[in-house]
Amino acid sequence: MRLSRPRPALGAASATAALALTLTACGGSTTLPAASGSSGSAAADASKTYDEILAAAPVASAGQIPAGSLMAKIKKRGTLIVGGTDTSALFSLKDPVTGELTGFDAGLAAMLAKYITGKTSTKLVQVSVATREQLLRNGTVDTVFATYSITPERAKKVDFAGPYYSSGDAILVKKANTGITSVDDLNGKTVCTQSGSTAANDIKDFAPKSKVILFDGNSQCVQAVKQGRADAYVIDQAILVGTQYRDPSVKVVGQPFTTDPYGIGTPKADPEMKTFVDAWLKKIEASGAWAKLWKATLGTAVTGTAPKPPVIGSVEGS
Amino acid sequence: MFTHVDAVAGQLGRGLLLTLAMTALTFTGAVAGGLVVAVLRICPVAPLRAFGAGYVAVFRNIPLLVLLVLFVFGLPDLGLLYPLFATVTTAMALYWAAFVCEVVRSGVRAVPRGQAEAARALGLGFGQCLRHVILPQAVRPMVQPLGSIFIGCALSTSLAAAVGVAELTGQAEFLTLRYDQPLTSFALTTVVYVALTLTSGLVAGRVERKLAVAR
Repeated sequence: MRLSRPRPALGAASATAALALTLTACGGSTTLPAASGSSGSAAADASKTYDEILAAAPVASAGQIPAGSLMAKIKKRGTLIVGGTDTSALFSLKDPVTGELTGFDAGLAAMLAKYITGKTSTKLVQVSVATREQLLRNGTVDTVFATYSITPERAKKVDFAGPYYSSGDAILVKKANTGITSVDDLNGKTVCTQSGSTAANDIKDFAPKSKVILFDGNSQCVQAVKQGRADAYVIDQAILVGTQYRDPSVKVVGQPFTTDPYGIGTPKADPEMKTFVDAWLKKIEASGAWAKLWKATLGTAVTGTAPKPPVIGSVEGS
Repeated sequence: MFTHVDAVAGQLGRGLLLTLAMTALTFTGAVAGGLVVAVLRICPVAPLRAFGAGYVAVFRNIPLLVLLVLFVFGLPDLGLLYPLFATVTTAMALYWAAFVCEVVRSGVRAVPRGQAEAARALGLGFGQCLRHVILPQAVRPMVQPLGSIFIGCALSTSLAAAVGVAELTGQAEFLTLRYDQPLTSFALTTVVYVALTLTSGLVAGRVERKLAVAR
């Protein structure tokens, strides 16, 4: 018996599998993150409207910023320090040409900065799932915009303004597919998802007659849909829109059919910040700026009109 | 998890059926393919020998998981889209055929050279010599290694879960996602796999005794 042959032993198999699949995944896109889904002029239009939306964003009156508050500190500094990422397409992605962050999260952060300081100046501090709470608590960042799911557990450590967006499991299909527009259409279809994701349960709950296939990674699932091995790929919308952004041969249909509310993290030590951000969110949602920003960012990858923003404070922990 | 015994048993049962079918088909395919390649490797025609050696070199040296991914995600790009189960089973049969080939070859080599020379002296051709003289004597030393290959086949079906086949391990993944008890579901599948491989080990021992030849 040769020693170099992989011995498939249960638990270890999946770990090796994950590694090997990452290394050999077919069809992974390595192109620069350009808005390949739209033509050049349309992309230029989108970025123009994006800039216009930021330019039209409101500024708080002096009376709304009490002396000694975190907001007053930010105003004095002139820049909002935001915990986020620069690699999340359509949420917060660094433009390789201009170096500017664009996306739904980045746009909201810039609008909040403008509301406090009068200009859209933000400074990005890279955060990860493991560091977000800590960086807020020790004052490194003023706020966190990072597709940050509100959970009661996290709400014990930080405050959450919002929810400002409701993500959840969404559906990705081939561009030419018109037969699947909602989760009900998945019945009788072959649907794939990632093997570590609880989306498998959601598919079975929402479309019991669907056939679920598990693949190890995102690229395998996308490949399976493109090759016709699966009719649809279901996983968190934030992942799907990023995929669609890089690969115009697929599309994300409809709104999420499960709920994963995103909140804006603020320090627990400055409770006035949460109230302030909530009031600002209500303002931009009422004025339509929120919907316009959605249309200019996530709306370029998701079909349909802008969803209704979730009700502020509607989620446990917000 | 224990409150859902019926559902869990049903799911694992379906997975086990798929695992058994895959193991049986893979092993049958591997033995058939391995025999052919082994004959190529020992036949007197040089290009065929080279082809046999090349086959073994390619399939024995690519990790099975890589092979599965190439078959499942690569072939459709060439316009060959077959059902997952068929694709995966074919890839595994091709992979294990390389190992079977080497077992068969070493079994044949275990038969003293004089036997082949005697057969030739009696006027038997290559095919007749293999069929009537060499293979009957070569089978016995091949039984235990083939038993090991069967066990390898059975265990390697678990890799199919990584490319979307809902066999035993795949169903265990579903159960883990549903009930969040990874240790329990993997412990259950381990028991099933061990039962499967222990049985095949016993069967191989029986077969070996049956085929005992006096030399």
